[in-house]
Amino acid sequence: MINKNSPRRVPVFRGIGITKYFGGVRALDQVSLDLLPGEIVALVGDNGAGKSTLVKIFSGIYRTDEGDLWLGDLRVPHLTARQARALGIETVYQNLLLCDNLGAAANVMLGQEPVRSRFGPFEIIDRQRSLQEARKHIAELGIDLPDLEIPVRRLSGGQRQAIAIARATVKAHRLIQFDEPTAALGVRQTQATLDLIRQVAAKGVAAIVITHNLDDVFAVAHRVVALRLGRISLDAPVEQTSREQVVACMTGMSFQRESL
Amino acid sequence: MRTSGFLPSILLDRARNVGLLVTLILCLLFISFFSPKYLSIDNLLVVALQVSFVGIAALGTAYLIIGGSVDLSIGSQYALCAVASAMLARSMPSGLAWFMGIVLGAFLGLINGLLVWRISISPIIITLGTLTIFRGIALRITNGFGVRGVPKSFAAFGQARWLNIPTPVLVFALLALFARSILQYTRQGRHLFAFGGNREAAEAAGIDGKRMLLLCFAANGALVGTTAVLAASRFGTAAPTFGAGFELDVIAAVILGGVVFTGGEGSIAGVILAVILLGVINSGLISIGIDPHYAQMVKGLALVIAVTLDQITQEQQERHRRRMASLERATSA
Repeated sequence: MINKNSPRRVPVFRGIGITKYFGGVRALDQVSLDLLPGEIVALVGDNGAGKSTLVKIFSGIYRTDEGDLWLGDLRVPHLTARQARALGIETVYQNLLLCDNLGAAANVMLGQEPVRSRFGPFEIIDRQRSLQEARKHIAELGIDLPDLEIPVRRLSGGQRQAIAIARATVKAHRLIQFDEPTAALGVRQTQATLDLIRQVAAKGVAAIVITHNLDDVFAVAHRVVALRLGRISLDAPVEQTSREQVVACMTGMSFQRESL
Repeated sequence: MRTSGFLPSILLDRARNVGLLVTLILCLLFISFFSPKYLSIDNLLVVALQVSFVGIAALGTAYLIIGGSVDLSIGSQYALCAVASAMLARSMPSGLAWFMGIVLGAFLGLINGLLVWRISISPIIITLGTLTIFRGIALRITNGFGVRGVPKSFAAFGQARWLNIPTPVLVFALLALFARSILQYTRQGRHLFAFGGNREAAEAAGIDGKRMLLLCFAANGALVGTTAVLAASRFGTAAPTFGAGFELDVIAAVILGGVVFTGGEGSIAGVILAVILLGVINSGLISIGIDPHYAQMVKGLALVIAVTLDQITQEQQERHRRRMASLERATSA
């Protein structure tokens, strides 16, 4: 499916004809999706529509049964989680996957701590640089976090969310996926999180946002994709659609009949 | 992960170690009041010697528990390594026999690690099984008797002194320094905390949890092997009954030292202080003429008080978090 708005831009990520079975259930059926750099795509759909399955295929956790994934010019028939990370795909899960016992800096830099020197097989962390880099990433997103070393379990939900997003942006240079990022947040924190998503996308990374909240869809997304029973029932720029149409495509009720 | 750069969190994190240190000093003062000779260098070296055996093993157990696991079979590993090393010394140079005892420990640890990794039930249950197996092997190969006919040279290692310091004390001090540095300053140490804090998150960040867990179990086994060889060498022989209840002494010290049983929290400094404190309580009560059975009770009591304090602090933090969350909601509404 080619985005009509900007035909000259090259997709950073393409899924073509993706089909996935769980036992006898077809969770995804011939789903095709192109993602452009800097584009925010809202992924909506009822429970069981296949949103999470699609996100897990894109992050290499599930394998497709049919269909192709293209990362730029590279065709990846069997994307693994490790490959996905190496190719710049990150996912911010609903449970955030933070180490509650570590500080914000340690969480953001986890797995890629800067090394000061070596002692046999042991790599000594450059603590100052680690802090600086983490602070830079966090500041780039405009997050206000005075202490980067207190365990993140002592921080609020919004702050923890921001740390999870900052960590993902450190590594994601192609695609970043958000699994219901605002589900557990208050109004102000939701606004802050949507701002973060905009800033991440502004760096030229494609963003997928799974959400149940139509306010979020129209506030942040450039394009909305609705899934219903494993198929794409709507794929349109937000300006060319409406809440009523999105709801209709999610639920399967005919939009025309509704509007009559 | 112990943190710094923020005063309240420093105080909160260090409170445990300060508390242990103060308790230790109070205990020493109390004991020396009734038994002035307790604080003599000679006596303190004896206490240090007793402490070293539990201390060396406690380093490995601290790593395991911080990483979210545990090995209950260390007492049996201790017995098996000790008798195996003593038996081997009858037919090979003592130096090689000591070394083989340590290697055997690493091997036993690795077996536990593989089982714990592969079988997804609590490591407590799995290592309870190997506890029984290893003890059984130690009893079988010795027919239940102490090892006899061990050459005198076997005792050289454990009984030697450097600058008047017994070998086990020196080994404990060096290993403790090493263990603390690795845990505190290296990526590997950071990753162990991460893995113990949230396994899934650590693996999502690309950390190889299996490798780390296996290494920790093997290293723990090697440390237990080291303690066992030192003890066997010190006695000049070994018996299959060595190390009964050893795991309880070690785990009690580790938990008292501030390592949280669910993983992800702890410091080597705290563990060392706790090991010393328990050793002092043990030997001190005996030296002031109190029935040694009381020492057992006091040790248990110290552990119960420590975890109770932990629980209360944790609940307070939880309340604080809830307050912050509701405040956040209120300001955004």
